[in-house]
Amino acid sequence: MENLTDEELMAAVSSDNLDCMRVLYDRYHKWIYNFFMQLIQDKDTSADLTQSTFYKAIKYRKSYKGGKFDSWIFKIARNLSSDYFNGRKSNLSQEEIRNIPENETKQEIDEEVAKLRLVMQKLAPEDREVLVMSRFQEMKYSQIAEILGTTENAIKIKAHRALKKLKKLFFESVEI
Amino acid sequence: MNCKGTELKIMAYLEGNLSDKELQEFERHLSQCDSCKNKLRQSKLLLKTINNTEPFEPEIGHKISFEKMLAEEKRLLIKGNSQKTTFISWKTAFQVAASIVLLLAGYLYGEHNGKMGAQVQITSLEKQTGTLKTEMTLAMLHNRSASKRIQAVGYSEEMKMPENQVLQAIIERLLNDENVNVRLAAAEALSRFQQKTLVKNAFISALETEKNPDIQIAVIQFLANVKDKRAIAPMKRLLDKPQVPGYVKLQVHDGLAQLL
Repeated sequence: MENLTDEELMAAVSSDNLDCMRVLYDRYHKWIYNFFMQLIQDKDTSADLTQSTFYKAIKYRKSYKGGKFDSWIFKIARNLSSDYFNGRKSNLSQEEIRNIPENETKQEIDEEVAKLRLVMQKLAPEDREVLVMSRFQEMKYSQIAEILGTTENAIKIKAHRALKKLKKLFFESVEI
Repeated sequence: MNCKGTELKIMAYLEGNLSDKELQEFERHLSQCDSCKNKLRQSKLLLKTINNTEPFEPEIGHKISFEKMLAEEKRLLIKGNSQKTTFISWKTAFQVAASIVLLLAGYLYGEHNGKMGAQVQITSLEKQTGTLKTEMTLAMLHNRSASKRIQAVGYSEEMKMPENQVLQAIIERLLNDENVNVRLAAAEALSRFQQKTLVKNAFISALETEKNPDIQIAVIQFLANVKDKRAIAPMKRLLDKPQVPGYVKLQVHDGLAQLL
């Protein structure tokens, strides 16, 4: 089973061979967990959303009609993150940002990384998402474009602008 | 290349995505511009920081909750499948549908055939009753009772088009029956068949032989109606006979007026 491609495994899951999902879980749970962590930076929420992603992948297995598996499951993950942000109605307020536990950031070995995570939370979810996908998850622009239903060029521009905003925030905070 | 153009290319530069020509221009500008040099330094640091970000490790126990969820889904799947087997499968449904169609087709075929058979039977029965009626009429016309003979003549009126055999028998009554009433009934019955030469011939014979004035009048009326010229001569002879009553002769005059 381990020798099969993602697509072959998901096709098997789609025809009710649910055990194949275990292999896909092993391959992808960390990647998806990290997507949520980068976006939300909350361990419990990210763990829950990761579980929900695979739960939905099993529930909606019949809707898988071939195509790249990682794009397909990522769409599920992304819908869950949008639901999460819509549920919270607004972005993190300034107060919430200040309340990101200090002790956790102090524990970070690299202070720069800690700072980066902090300023990531200041970005609009849309900007944060495109950066997480292109920079942290190392997805190709073409794949992001397919998931978000837009063109590769539009994603390039969007990612460039988001990175510029991140840079500005990052170095402002350095100066503080 | 100006500062704006250079800034746009910083990321491409760091990722090694510039062409040789672009690279030359980019580096030439950087050597002259401290501001852009600083921006490049910042971007380098940011990318380095991003790359330094260690992936998060999920908490221990995540696999257990996944296995729990998977087991539950498998249980639901088996339950769903066993429920499905109690439903009528498509194959069975088709079999049932096919037998219903066959039954219906058989019923319709049978009913159609039955109708056809019944139709045949009805026609043959109708034929039989027709024959029976003819035979009965013929037999009754020779009955000794005058009233029965009159009744038999009446039966012929129920027949749409009696066979010549029946007509012949009635004509015989008209010409030869000893009873006046039977002869009169026969004359009335026959007057329906004005087109038949057989009947017309009979009335001409009756004109010559008939002695009863009532019958004579009926015969004259019939022949005048059908405008048979052959009746003229025997009618004229009636006028010459002294024993013929005056009112019959009057009828003869009327008849002759119609014929001539």
